[in-house]
Amino acid sequence: MAVADTARGARPLRHLPGEPGVWVFIAGDLVVFALLFAVFVHDRAQDPQLFLRSQGTLNQGYGLINTLLMLSSSWLVALAVLAARAGRPTAAPRLLALALLCGVGFVAAKAFEWSEKIGAGFTIASNDFFMYYYLLTGIHLLHVLIGMGVLAFLWHIARNPKPAITTLESGASFWHLVDLLWIVLFPLLYLIH
Amino acid sequence: MNTRNQLIGAWCGPAFVVLFTIGYWLIAHYLPPHAPTATAEDVAALYRQHTTQIRLGMLLMMSCSGLMAGFVAVIAVQLRRIEGQTPVLTYTQLASGTVGILFFILPALLWTAAAFRPERDPELLLLLNDLGWIFFLMPFTSFVVQNLAIGLAILGNDGAAQPFPRWAGYFNCWVAVLFVPGGLLTFFKSGPFAWNGLFVFWVPLVVFLLWYGIMFVLLRSAIQRQATAGRA
Repeated sequence: MAVADTARGARPLRHLPGEPGVWVFIAGDLVVFALLFAVFVHDRAQDPQLFLRSQGTLNQGYGLINTLLMLSSSWLVALAVLAARAGRPTAAPRLLALALLCGVGFVAAKAFEWSEKIGAGFTIASNDFFMYYYLLTGIHLLHVLIGMGVLAFLWHIARNPKPAITTLESGASFWHLVDLLWIVLFPLLYLIH
Repeated sequence: MNTRNQLIGAWCGPAFVVLFTIGYWLIAHYLPPHAPTATAEDVAALYRQHTTQIRLGMLLMMSCSGLMAGFVAVIAVQLRRIEGQTPVLTYTQLASGTVGILFFILPALLWTAAAFRPERDPELLLLLNDLGWIFFLMPFTSFVVQNLAIGLAILGNDGAAQPFPRWAGYFNCWVAVLFVPGGLLTFFKSGPFAWNGLFVFWVPLVVFLLWYGIMFVLLRSAIQRQATAGRA
């Protein structure tokens, strides 16, 4: 009884951020990316020399910049949700705008990186490593672009003096997914030896 | 009430899946898919040895594709309840879903053309076989638009009629994403993004069957709840 009393009116102990349905999408997307990663690792094992040699041509600096941008934007989005929950309606949109800016930076860095690679003669048809490189980063970039649309939508919502917290959390969860996928992609493509 | 016609339309879905499976897989043996790396001689041998099965399987595949129209129509009827007087997404779904039927009919016809004169030049058989696979697996646009229309209609639903649960909206968006890799088959003859690869053939196939199963169950429940509410 005592437990029930303290829990009444309080947030549930295990709070699922956002609406439950959005986790259907996130779980589904994770399954697909897990498949993609598994196929990559499998094919890498077929010809490790080729994959290592091709990996050596990648510019880890771009990968690192992208990682920093992703982590920062994820952090900014988390701060924005906290600000909205705490009822600070001016802070939340500002933080979301900054997160969106990080997204723009991510896309720009990817564009520079890709054009540098294409300029050096490495295309999607060069070999298996570059096929995976362009496809994995491309599919991830598609997620970033969709996520930026989501962030813009969240920015719009957060400007409301009484923002819809659940919607904010749903969108934020998707952006964290985009971040998480990059955190796996980065070592997989750029670092693993 | 129009419950009976709606249920008939909903049952068109599983009926299509069963007949398609029989024609495409059990009779014509197009599963697993032919390899894009197969030579003209390999492909010619396939059509010469299995001429009758391929003709019969493709006839069945082409015939049963029409059943999809009933399924698409019932989805439209249920989306219409959400959208009311301005059914933009309902029409989008209906139009794109209808176009989608073509990408079952056209490959069946192309493969039929190959099996029609299996004695012809192997290079031409290879061409017809290629065309069939490209028509079958590459045109993701209509399916993506159809699933996004359903997903967005469900997620944007703030009205009284709730034919579908909200998670079904996210599910449809997820399905939409998974059809997109089909477009990549143009670049590859082998690997996971070739037309016999994991992300162009197997994942979309599983997702397509899953989508039919889930949408069928959801539609039946929506139709029944609508009928109950109508009687009350």
